[in-house]
Amino acid sequence: MAGISAAAADLGASAYKRRPSWVAWLVFAPLAAWLILFVIVPTLTLVALSFGEQRGLGTVEFTFTLENYQRAFNWTWLKVFWTSIWYALLTTGICMVIGYPVAYYIGRSPENMRNMLLTLVMIPFWTSFLIRTYAWITILSKEGLINSFLVAARIVPEPITILYTPFAAVLGLVYNYLPFMILPIYTSVERLDNAMIEAAYDLGARPVRAFSQIIIPLTSPGIVAGALLVFVPSIAMFAITNLMGGGDPPTIGEVIYKQFTSGRAQPFGAALGTLLLLIFIFTLWIGRRRSEE
Amino acid sequence: MKNNARHLMLSALAMLSLAGCGKPPEPSASTPTPASSPGSSPAAAAATPAPQAEEKKLNIFCWSEYIPQDVIDAFSKETGIQVSVENYASNEEMLAKLLAGGGSYDLIQPSEYAIEGLIAENLLVPIDHALIPNLKNIAPEFLNMSFDPGNKYTVPYMAGTVGIVVNTELVKDEITGFNDVFQDKYKKNIVVLDDAREIVTWAMLSQGIPVNDVTDENLEKVKPTVAKWVQLVKVYDSDSPKTALLNGDVALGVVWGGEGALLLNADKKFKWVMPKEGTHLFIDSLAIPKIAKHPTNAQQFMNFILRPDISVKMSDAFPYLNPNAAARPLLTKEQQENPASFPSAEQISKMQTFKDIGGQATKVDELVTSLKAE
Repeated sequence: MAGISAAAADLGASAYKRRPSWVAWLVFAPLAAWLILFVIVPTLTLVALSFGEQRGLGTVEFTFTLENYQRAFNWTWLKVFWTSIWYALLTTGICMVIGYPVAYYIGRSPENMRNMLLTLVMIPFWTSFLIRTYAWITILSKEGLINSFLVAARIVPEPITILYTPFAAVLGLVYNYLPFMILPIYTSVERLDNAMIEAAYDLGARPVRAFSQIIIPLTSPGIVAGALLVFVPSIAMFAITNLMGGGDPPTIGEVIYKQFTSGRAQPFGAALGTLLLLIFIFTLWIGRRRSEE
Repeated sequence: MKNNARHLMLSALAMLSLAGCGKPPEPSASTPTPASSPGSSPAAAAATPAPQAEEKKLNIFCWSEYIPQDVIDAFSKETGIQVSVENYASNEEMLAKLLAGGGSYDLIQPSEYAIEGLIAENLLVPIDHALIPNLKNIAPEFLNMSFDPGNKYTVPYMAGTVGIVVNTELVKDEITGFNDVFQDKYKKNIVVLDDAREIVTWAMLSQGIPVNDVTDENLEKVKPTVAKWVQLVKVYDSDSPKTALLNGDVALGVVWGGEGALLLNADKKFKWVMPKEGTHLFIDSLAIPKIAKHPTNAQQFMNFILRPDISVKMSDAFPYLNPNAAARPLLTKEQQENPASFPSAEQISKMQTFKDIGGQATKVDELVTSLKAE
C-alpha cells in the first residue's frame, strides 16, 4: 500500500514535472520556428552555396568545389576584409569612449531623469537610418551646413572636404551604432552597487583607482555586450560607408553584395559571407570569454 | 558558445543533405520549343498558355524607381486590373529570382544583355503583336535590335546612355571625352557609376576597343587605365550620382543620361558631354516570363505604356531617352532639347548595346575591386 502510494506520488511528481516542460515547449516553439526559418536555414543555404559553381544566367550547381575559398584567400579580398574590420574596430573604440561617460551619467542621474535621457538616446531610431544618413550628407557636403558656417565665419577660405572620406564613413557608423553601446553599459551602471564604490573610497582609493579597479570591472558585462553590438553589425554595414564614404575603399558588405549581382559569382559571395560569419563567431567567442573572466 | 557549436554541427549536417539533392535537372535549358522557332506565328504561341478569361490581376517585377505610380494607377483605373509591383535593383537580381522559380511574375523589365540570355534559355513567352498595336509608336532605331530581332519577345520601355556631366563653374577647361575627365588635376573631384562593367567599358572605349570585346587579353590591356582612373575617383554611386554633383562635392561625373538630364534641369552650370571616344546605349524592355499566369493582361499593360499620353508621364518622372516617337512631340521644348535625355540620331547610330558577357562579368568585377582596394 505504502509502495503503491509512493509510486503514485512518484508518478504524480513526474507528471507534475513534465507538465511545465510541455508549456515551456509551447512557449519556446515560436522562437524555435523563427530561429530555424530565419537563422538556421539561411545560414545553411549560404554555406551550401559557397561550395557551388555559378552557371549561365544565374543558376548554381553544387559541385563541392573549394575553389571559392581558394579564391577568397587572395590579397584583394583580404584587404577588403581588413578595411571593414578596421572601420568596425575604430567605430567600436570611438563609441566606447563617447558612450561610456554618457551611459554612466544617465545611470547615475536621478531616477525621474533617467527615462527622459534614455528616450533622447532612442529618438533617432524613430526615423529610418537611410534618412538620417542622407541628413548627414546635407550637413557634411561642400555646400552643406558645416562648410557654410566655416566659410561665413572666415575660419577657412574655401569649403573643406569632409564628405566622401574614410572619416565621414566612420562618423556615420559611430553615429548610427552609438545607442547600441550606451544602452548595455547603462544597464550595468544602473545595477552598480553604491556600497562598493563607497567602500573603495573608505579604504583610501582615489577616484582613478576606484574607477579602474571597481567601476570598470563591475560594468564590464555592459562594455563587452556594447562592444559586440557595435562591432559585429558595423563590419558588414555598407549602406553608410557607401553613402558617406563614397564607396572608396570597398568594404566587405558591398563586395559580397556585388558577387550576388553584377559580379555574377553567387557561390564566391557565399564563401566570403561564410568567412564573415566565422569572424562573427570568433568575435562572440572572445566576448564570451572576456565576460566570463 | 555551446549553442554556436551545435549550430555549426547542424549546418554541416544539413549542408551534406542539401548537397545530396543538388544538380537538379534543367529541362528548360537548351531545349528549343516550337514557339521560339522563327517560322511559328507569335499569336498562336502566345494564345497557348493564356486562357481567354484571365483574372483581373497583373504582377509586375520591375526596376525600382522606373515605372511611375501614376502610370500604374491609370492602368488599374482604366482596365480594372489589380496591379502588384515588386522591385529589383539589378538585372542579375531579377534573373536569380526568376531562375530560382520563386514568385509569379507576369511582366519583367530586363535590359538588352539580360534579354539575350533569357531568350537563349527559352524563358520568355512570345508576344502577340495584334494585342500591342501601339508598338508602331516606337521609333525604328529602337526596334528589331540584335538582342531580340523582330521584337518577338519584348517591347522597349525606356532607353538611355552614359555620358559626362561637367560643373562649368569649377571646370573651365573643355571636356570632350573620358580621357579629359580622368586627369590628375581632377583627382578626387569625380563621381562615377558604381558599376565594374561600366568603368571597364569606358576604359576600353578610350583605347578604341569595342564594348563587347571583353576578352582576358583586352582586360589586361585596359588594366593600367582602370588603375589610374580609380585613383582619381572620389565617389562611386549608381543610384544617385547626381547628389555629389549637386552638392558641389565633385566637379565632374560619368553618369546615366537620366541623372544628367535632372542635373541640367536643376542648374545651368551643368553641361552634358557625349564622350568623343563613344559610349553605349541601353534599352530596358518589357517581357513576359514563361511562368506568367496573366500574359494577356501583361500585353495589355505593354500596349498601355506605349500610348503617347502615358509615355509622356514616364518621361516627366524619369527623363531618360524615350523611344516613343509619337510621345516626343507631346514633351515640352525643354524636355525635347535636353541633350542628356535625347542624343542626336547620329550619336545614337554610333552607340553599341551591351551583349551578355557571361562568366567574364566575374573577372571584370575582380579587376575593378582589386584596383579600388589598393
